[in-house]
Amino acid sequence: MVGELADALVVEGIAKAYGATVALERVDLSLRAGEVHALLGENGAGKSTLVKILSGVVRPDAGRMTLAGAAFAPHALLDSRAAGVATAFQELSLLPNLTVAENLMMPRMPRGALGLASARATRAAARDILARYGLSRIDAAEKVGALALAERQRLEIVRAMEHASKVLVLDEPTAALAEVEWLFGLVRRVTARGVAVLYISHRLAEVRALCARATVLRNGRSIATVDLSGASDADIFEMMVGRRVRGERAVRARPAADAPAVIALDRLSGGSLREVSLTLGKGEVLGIAALEGQGQRDLFRILAGLARPSGGTIRIDGAATSLRNPRAALKAGGGLAYVPEERKTEGILSSLTAAGNITLPVAGRIARGGLIWKGLEQGAARRVSGHVDLAERYLGFPVGDLSGGNQQKALLARTLLTGARTLLLFDPTRGVDVGTKQSIYAAIRRFADDGGSVLFYSSELPEVIDLADRCLVLYGGRVFAEFAGDELEEHRLVGALVGHAAGPGKEGADAARGAAR
Amino acid sequence: MSAQGNGAVRFDGAADNRRSGGVSKETINAIVVFALSIVLILGSRFVSPALGSWSQVLTVLTLASFLIVVSFGQGLVVMIGGLDLSIPAVITLGGVLTAGWVGAGNAGAWYLLPAILALCGLVGAFNGFGVTVLRIPPFIMTMATSIILASAALGYTSGTPRGASPEALTVLMKTSWLGVPAVVFFVVLFVLAGWALQSRTVFGRRLYAVGANPDAARVAGVSVGAASTLAYVASAVCAGFVGMMLVGYANGATLRMGDSYMLPSIAAVVIGGSSILGGSGSFVGTVGGAILLTTLGTVIAAIGLEQGWRTVIEGGIIVAALFFLREELFARLRRPGRS
Repeated sequence: MVGELADALVVEGIAKAYGATVALERVDLSLRAGEVHALLGENGAGKSTLVKILSGVVRPDAGRMTLAGAAFAPHALLDSRAAGVATAFQELSLLPNLTVAENLMMPRMPRGALGLASARATRAAARDILARYGLSRIDAAEKVGALALAERQRLEIVRAMEHASKVLVLDEPTAALAEVEWLFGLVRRVTARGVAVLYISHRLAEVRALCARATVLRNGRSIATVDLSGASDADIFEMMVGRRVRGERAVRARPAADAPAVIALDRLSGGSLREVSLTLGKGEVLGIAALEGQGQRDLFRILAGLARPSGGTIRIDGAATSLRNPRAALKAGGGLAYVPEERKTEGILSSLTAAGNITLPVAGRIARGGLIWKGLEQGAARRVSGHVDLAERYLGFPVGDLSGGNQQKALLARTLLTGARTLLLFDPTRGVDVGTKQSIYAAIRRFADDGGSVLFYSSELPEVIDLADRCLVLYGGRVFAEFAGDELEEHRLVGALVGHAAGPGKEGADAARGAAR
Repeated sequence: MSAQGNGAVRFDGAADNRRSGGVSKETINAIVVFALSIVLILGSRFVSPALGSWSQVLTVLTLASFLIVVSFGQGLVVMIGGLDLSIPAVITLGGVLTAGWVGAGNAGAWYLLPAILALCGLVGAFNGFGVTVLRIPPFIMTMATSIILASAALGYTSGTPRGASPEALTVLMKTSWLGVPAVVFFVVLFVLAGWALQSRTVFGRRLYAVGANPDAARVAGVSVGAASTLAYVASAVCAGFVGMMLVGYANGATLRMGDSYMLPSIAAVVIGGSSILGGSGSFVGTVGGAILLTTLGTVIAAIGLEQGWRTVIEGGIIVAALFFLREELFARLRRPGRS
């Protein structure tokens, strides 16, 4: 029996620098066996580096770690896993070309006759694991690359839980999950057997629901470890960013009801989207709310020119249009510019500078005499970097060296610089910190105030409510409900998300709340 | 020590003192490669007293000119994450047609030479079509093109290419100006233009983007297929032109004239600091790589070994150079202190 107060993992004075860049200056942290301990901090505070150190991916320059009383200095991922410390990474670490079963069982596959890896035994063992974690619906023989993002994330979590005998690290485990009860149940199960959980999330509500204590990182230092019951949200934000953050809804003049439609969809189908009709008015911010996999991805990919519709019509600024590719979308009507869901794979070009990334779509326009000069490029990028609060000194850096929040700002700046009058933003604040969120919200509002139109999807309801003039709820690939103005309330949206009739009573909302967070 | 080594700094806003515009990886790489070439030329005096002289430098530059031009094209293709193995065959195509169609004198050269280059460009477009539209892996597609071309050249020439060098090419390759071969002046201009095309034009910028991440480039509105195809076209035109230069240099064509440029063209690009996976690199580094490889070749030739052994040693040196001069090693050079 593990004592309630026994320290499972103690981290003392950990520091790590990459060349001249100090990622961690000094981090102290202790995890008690059986507790869920939150790690909070803005992007770039050093959370990812700490995760990498705990999981053995990188080695610290200084400091020491103690695991259940013994020195802990993993040299590789498998070292830390063997010691009982397992991590579910934010950037999922599954191999997309292997099956679910192979990913779960690697690197020790069950052997069959002749000592070769046995596919059948592997699948059986994997099915057994999936069943224990309530994921029997996932086919163990399916290639991981074919799974939806949310299922991949669940798989990543399950794999880590299977290996975590002492410490489980969950890095943004709910970034792609629309409902969290499944995860919370499993977390309680592992803590019950004495495993310490380090829980990293930007969603404070989740953290409060799950964790008793939290350690706040800022600028590569551990600022404090606090009892969450004794700290207000504002206290915590202040510790994270060093200043107070306003969270109220900005008052914005509603766009005129008779504003001309910049996007008009009539019975649009494609992928899991079923006959969706909607209009986006000039100067309007239209939010899309939906649980994972209700067709929102297909809607955005079709409008961005990345997927073809199977039926229905698209009118941009009144003219019927087929959006053949992203270039055509940028040129359709006033232009549609897209900020994709997955920053790393579809967003940034990591070897180019931030300025190079921002100016890529307009490279032809900023060139003089066919040549792009650094000054021209920086000048063009500067015109929009201020709109998204992207510090000018970052413009000359390779964008891959910037924090996730700054990368997202650069991507938003890029869409602004294209001059497109309509922005398509898919979960624009996924995995970014509080400060960056505020900058992104401000940029979106200003864009709409200047007459631009915004269609955005968010996995966080408060964001939809704060930002949208009007909100459509997608369910089963169809527009299930519409809310505008004062109807935009969390309990109404929650009901619609899970397919309850629009505007359910309080009870229905409460029942659905867990599933819809 | 890099310009960024100004003490400990970190990621966040106010405390961030990191500077951009320090010495880039590419610059360091190019300097190292050029320095190695100079050391090698000076050091070669110990091998043979005839080496290490000004005239040897000019010889190296003349011989390097072929490799510099093909490596530029190869570099563009490597930049987008591809590989062009049809370069030797296209060199031969350019050479055989130049000697056969134009021949000695200058009659018709003004339209036949551009026509031959256009034909080579078509071969490149065929490569690009196979890679981007039919989605055939680049090394298979370009290898197939290479085999088709080699067979066609064999049939067309019945095994023995005829003809001689047009006068214009002889002038380019064989005359000197102020004691410096004309081709050296040409190569200097070519390097400037090539550097600008790769690093400063919209086209070059798109190639970087495609190589870094084709999906992201597409989302950003880049026409990935068109940009990639143009890279293969440029590579084939460069190879065709090198065929012409070789005809001018040797006053004739052979069916195997391009063979010795396959591995060196890739090696020069990689030694010059480009990632073989695409998305990084500069032409200046590639030029350094080409000069370094050519210098090595002349030093080995001076030792007086048989051709067979020379090829074995050259191959070994290229493998060694690829191992020691990879970009990761240069990246490490930039990081003072901990590793």
